[in-house]
Order: sequence, then C-alpha cells, then structure tokens
Amino acid sequence: MATYFGIAVDDIFNTMQARFRPEGAAGMDAVLAYDITGDGGGCWKITVKDNTVKIENTDDLAGFSVKTTVDAETFVGISIGKVDGMSAFSSGKMKVEGDMSLLAASPRLFNRFTPPKKGVTVHDIFATLVERFRPENATDLDMTIGYNIGGDDGGQWTAVIKDGKCVLETGLRADATITQIVTAKDFVDLVLGKLDPMVAIGAGRLRIAGDMKAAGIVPKLFAKFTPADAGEEQELIVLKRNISVNMKYSTGRHLGMFLDALKEKKIIANICPKCGRYQLPPREVCAECRCRVEDFKEVGPGGVITLIEDVYYASPDPLTGETRETPYGTVHVLLDGCTPDCTFWHFLKNEDLGNTKEGDRVQPVWAEKRDGGVHDILYFEKENG
Amino acid sequence: MGHKNRHVGIIGIGQTTYSSHREDVNQPEMIQEAVALALKDSGLKIDDIECVVHGNMELFEMIHQPDIWHVLGDGGYGKDAYRITTGGTTGITLVAAADNLVASGMYDIVMAIGFEKLQEGHTTGGITNMADPLWGRSLQTGALTGATAKDMINEFGEDRARRAAMRHRITLDKHAKLNPNSHRSFGLEYDQVEDLMDNSPKLVGELRLIHMCSQSDGACAMIFASEKKAKELSKHPVWIRDHITVHREETFNLFGHDVPELTHHYAARKLFERNGIKVPREYFDVFEMYDPSSWWGLDWLREFLLLEGDEHLRMIENDDISINGSFPLNPSGGVISANPIGATAMVRVAEAAMQIRGDAGGHQIPREVKHALASGFGGTMWTVLFMLEKELGWEEID
Repeated sequence: MATYFGIAVDDIFNTMQARFRPEGAAGMDAVLAYDITGDGGGCWKITVKDNTVKIENTDDLAGFSVKTTVDAETFVGISIGKVDGMSAFSSGKMKVEGDMSLLAASPRLFNRFTPPKKGVTVHDIFATLVERFRPENATDLDMTIGYNIGGDDGGQWTAVIKDGKCVLETGLRADATITQIVTAKDFVDLVLGKLDPMVAIGAGRLRIAGDMKAAGIVPKLFAKFTPADAGEEQELIVLKRNISVNMKYSTGRHLGMFLDALKEKKIIANICPKCGRYQLPPREVCAECRCRVEDFKEVGPGGVITLIEDVYYASPDPLTGETRETPYGTVHVLLDGCTPDCTFWHFLKNEDLGNTKEGDRVQPVWAEKRDGGVHDILYFEKENG
Repeated sequence: MGHKNRHVGIIGIGQTTYSSHREDVNQPEMIQEAVALALKDSGLKIDDIECVVHGNMELFEMIHQPDIWHVLGDGGYGKDAYRITTGGTTGITLVAAADNLVASGMYDIVMAIGFEKLQEGHTTGGITNMADPLWGRSLQTGALTGATAKDMINEFGEDRARRAAMRHRITLDKHAKLNPNSHRSFGLEYDQVEDLMDNSPKLVGELRLIHMCSQSDGACAMIFASEKKAKELSKHPVWIRDHITVHREETFNLFGHDVPELTHHYAARKLFERNGIKVPREYFDVFEMYDPSSWWGLDWLREFLLLEGDEHLRMIENDDISINGSFPLNPSGGVISANPIGATAMVRVAEAAMQIRGDAGGHQIPREVKHALASGFGGTMWTVLFMLEKELGWEEID
C-alpha cells in the first residue's frame, strides 16, 4: 500500500467513521464523492444524512452532491495539513464538481486526522501502568480490571487494585469487576486520546463487560500515559471561537429619509446643487463639490442594468455569519431619472441570473412587510417583454 | 510635497516568510521574526530605534489595539509609538508616516512594522464589514468583483483580455517561484493559459480563483533614518524621493456607469508631474504594484503608467513585465503570491528597495535598478504611490 507522509489514503477514510462529528452535520443531506487517483488511491463515497455518516469504498460514485478528484499524495497532504487545500484547488491539482459549498463545510464533519504515533505499543502502555497508578484515588477500593486486547500487538492483562496498591497480572479473571474488550490499535488510540471512548463504545469498537458504574472510576485510577518520545513532536494548539454580536448604527437624516421612503415603495435620490449629479442612496454632501445636498427627488423604480456580478464565491454574511447561497447575482441599475454616475446596487432575481444582460430593463420586487432596510426590496427582476 | 525638510533613507528591511500555516507562532512571535531580521539587516540594536509605527487591520483578526500586545515582539516598550490602520494601504501608509516622522526632524531613526495573520479572524467577513453598514454590507462580497474583467472584455474582446489576464498571472507565478518568501508559487507554465482560463473555478464573473490573491500570514519591518544617520549607518541606503496618498468618497457610486478618474491615475499624474517624470515607463526600472488580482494588476498597469489604448496588454503579451523584460513588474511575485494585508503594501516598498540595493536574491532583476515605483491599494478607492531612488541629487521641481 502506497503511503504519503507515512500515511495511506485508506488510513484517512477508515478513520472517518470514528472522527465523524454529528454536530457538524446538522441539517446536511449530501453525498460527498472522492476519486483519489494514483498509487494507493480509490473511489469513496461519504453519505451524510440525519446526523449520521456512511463511508463506502465503491467505484459507483453516481448521484453525488459534490465530487472531488485529486491525486493520493495531495489528498493525504491536505488531510494532515501538509498541503494547502486552497492552493491545490487553485492550481488545478484538485478538481471539484457539483456543490462547492459542501466541500467548504466538510471540515466540520470530521475531527482532524492525526497519524498514530510510531513506537507506542500496547506493551508500552502496560509497562508503565503500575507506576502510573494513583493510590489517592483508590482509597477503600477493591476491584479488578481486565484488558482483553485483540490483534497482533494485543494480549490479556488484569489490574488488581486492593489496599491502595495496584498489581498487574497477565491473563484474565472470570470474576473481574469489569473487562475491556478492544483491538490493540483502538486501545492505543484511546490511551493517547485520539479515539473518544464514547465514540468507541457507540461504534461497538470498545466493549465493557461487567459493572458499568465501576468503569467510570477507571480513568481516575491512572495518570495519563506519556509516550517515551513525547516532546519531539509538539501539538500546535489553535482555539476556535464563534463571535455573534448585535450591532446598531444611526442612519443620519439623509439615509434615514431614503430608508423611510422604502416603506412606501419609493426610492429617493438627492441632487447636488453645483454639479447636478444624483446620489443614491442620498448623502449629506457632494464629496466632489464639497457642498450640502438638500434637494431630494423620487427616481425609478425601474431602470437599466449597467453591471451584473454573478457571484459563485460562498460569501459569509457579516451580520449573521451565515454563508450566502451561490450562485447569486448583484446588479447596478441606472434608475429612471438618475444621472449616469449614480447607479443603484442590489440583488438580481435568482431565476433571471444567466438570461439577463447589461442594458436590460428591470423593476424592483418589494417585500410584503417593509421596515426601512435594504431588504425592503427583495431583488430586481426583468421587465416583461 | 517635493520639498522635504530633510532626506530619509531606508536602512533596514526584514520579512517573515508568507504562509497560511503559521500556527507555530502567535502574533507577537511572528512580528519578532521580522523585527529581528530588520535590525540584523541594518546592524542596529533595538535601543537605537527611537519610535515604532505599527499597523494592520483590526477587523481581520478582531484584536483591539494589537500594537500593545505586540510590544512583546517588537521591542517597543517605553518608546514613542504610533498605530496606523488604513485598510489595504496600511503597510505603505506606515512607510509614509515613518518617512514623514523622520523628515520632519522629530526622530532620526524610526521602525515601521506591518503585519497580518489572516488565518486568525475572518478576512472576507472583515472586508465586507468595511462597506456601509446600512446598505452595502448586505450586498458586498469582500474584495471580490468581476467588474474589471467585464470592462476589459468589453474593451479588448473576450479572448484577448482573458489570455492577457492569465499570462499576467503565470508571469507573476514564475516570479514567485524565485522568491523564497512567497506564500504561493504553483509552478505554472504558459501552456496552461487555456486550461486555467476555462477550468479555474469562478469566484465572480470572469474573476477566477487562480486570478485572486491568497490570505497570508506574515510581517514586514523596515527601518528609516535621516540622511546623516543613514549615511553613517548604512552602506546602501535607499532614498525615498516622494510619495502621494489619494482617496475618493465611499462606495456608493464606485461602479457607476460613468467611471470617474481612478485614484491610481490621479495619484500617478500628480506625482509624476511634480517630479518631472515625463515617461514613467522609461524612467522606472522596476514597479512593485499592489495587485490583488490579475485583472486589476493588468488594468492598473495602464492607470499607473499613464498609458493609452492597449499598450498595457502589449506589455504583457510581449513579456515586457517579466523579470528579464524591459519593465519588470513585481519580481517578488506580487500580492497574488502573498497577501498578509497589513504588511502587503509595505512589502511593495521593501521589495522595490531591495531591487535598488541589488540584494533581492533569486528574484533580483539582472541589471542595475536606479529608480523604483511602489504602490499600495485599499479601502474602496485608495491609492498610495512611492518613488525610490538609488542616488540623491534628483532635480527638485517647484
């Protein structure tokens, strides 16, 4: 199996189930397809629905919502943060078909892949178990903990805890208070904190036989295992924060009049007494002539498009933090009655995107309920005929 | 302007590498890297610095007054300090401020620091927050617009305009490959023009992902000294001849039907006029332009050099702008290759100065550079333009 940066493509997909974050998949109903090319590649299909995930290794990628085609080395590199995903995408190394915004959301679906530390074996962990025992947390405790570790690196052990002491025996006892049944790889990952115990139990990869209540005490009985090579490779700590705050702004008199008029389905501009240009929305002064502008006039509401911007980039709305749905169109409209340097900026009706061009006439579509804001106009739409 | 109280020389330059993976350092640590390099470059100690001018855009990282936090990394404790934040032009406005502070006689040695750590906070959210809160904010998409592409396609035809923008992009990528500090260099080749023109994902209209700058982490520090000090302390000071700052009113009519004279054109016209520069394309040996996208980089070449018709397109098509060409543009790779916003515009001046010194390394222009031009861009229409000289003694124009 080809590996890149010491990791195989399979390692990444095979751990996805365990790394899945249901909270990151809320509301998502999508199929993410991956065609990983080159040595060690393959085709994978990730189905996210109802806060669950299904990972399949299949050549049938039909019906995907978004499909990513990328070579194996780049894929592994991006997954472990050695290769910049945007750069791979920009340079064409990674190609994406379908709904790109899903790909942007995909990092939320999984905890980051971390390669297993080399050198840590099940035997390493048991070699230090007794010295990591914390008698202060075991006062008056009398219990036996069985470890039934499967796989090549596995084995069977029992920790006997009594009179504030811990003794490790090989083999299992039938009368153990609890017994953990797990594969060697998962056991190492659990001890290193890479596999969440609740996830492992939920996925059936860690089974606990015996007194479940007693199982809750076990983590307190031993100090954290530290691999011998700890310190060579440091974890880079990055904290993530979401900030959502309410904000308010004063309009001033001129913009206030403009916004107020929107409630009555009227668009008003003001006109510079010196150069005669219209300003939309109205401003207090003409910055070029440096004079007050107090002459207001209703314009539009129809007009001619001077510029259409078809936006594909999934931009965040800074007021809500929500990502806008793409594609969408914004338009600059020279409203009837205005001077040519005064265009009105707003959205284009989604259905009109792609069949509308500069020079076409448009009309605003007003919101049913208007409160004097930019969204009192829903969008501009093409005039009939 | 044109009559400074005294001359000011650039005597120290330090840049971090630019990257989207600087999780290994926090902000003060990142800045310290640039400061240490600038001090080393100048042969000075932090005690020699009289005043620190610090800048970035708070909206991006959402950290209030980072200059106070960054005293840990910039050594500014107890020194006179100023903070500047003017959007995309921040870095070059820092240089303008440092130049003015030294020229005034207030300080003999000033250090300016521009930085941004764009992997922290939210860049596009920050830029969109610059729009009018009651109107444009709901409509704007950060700094992304396809309007220039549309205008150029209308003026020069779709095929020619799109090819020129992509050729510009590939030339700058080749330059970036020569600059070890670049955030991005893809190794693009000219035979990829057609593939990229059609297949690079669209952002807005014909503005595609490949055309657009990155969001980088990084810092740049520069040290400025009075003529007397600069001559004492530095073997090769680079002289700041003149600079100009121009901006217009807010966004509302930015994309109106009748486009007014752009601030770039206005700034270049005024600056060259008062310095007696008749043919800027012939006078300057290098231009480090603040080019956030290839469409803008291409269009603005005409604005800054006061060109007519399609001369700017021909400069691209003839490879005049390549590092070996007759008018090298952004031998550093430009903003498209690295954009730590608060540092970006300072890097233009720093790179232009390195070209004059002749120690830019792998991306040094292979002939003598005496006169350099550097620009900054930001806000909605905000231009800063700098002229640097290798030798003092230029002609003063009244």
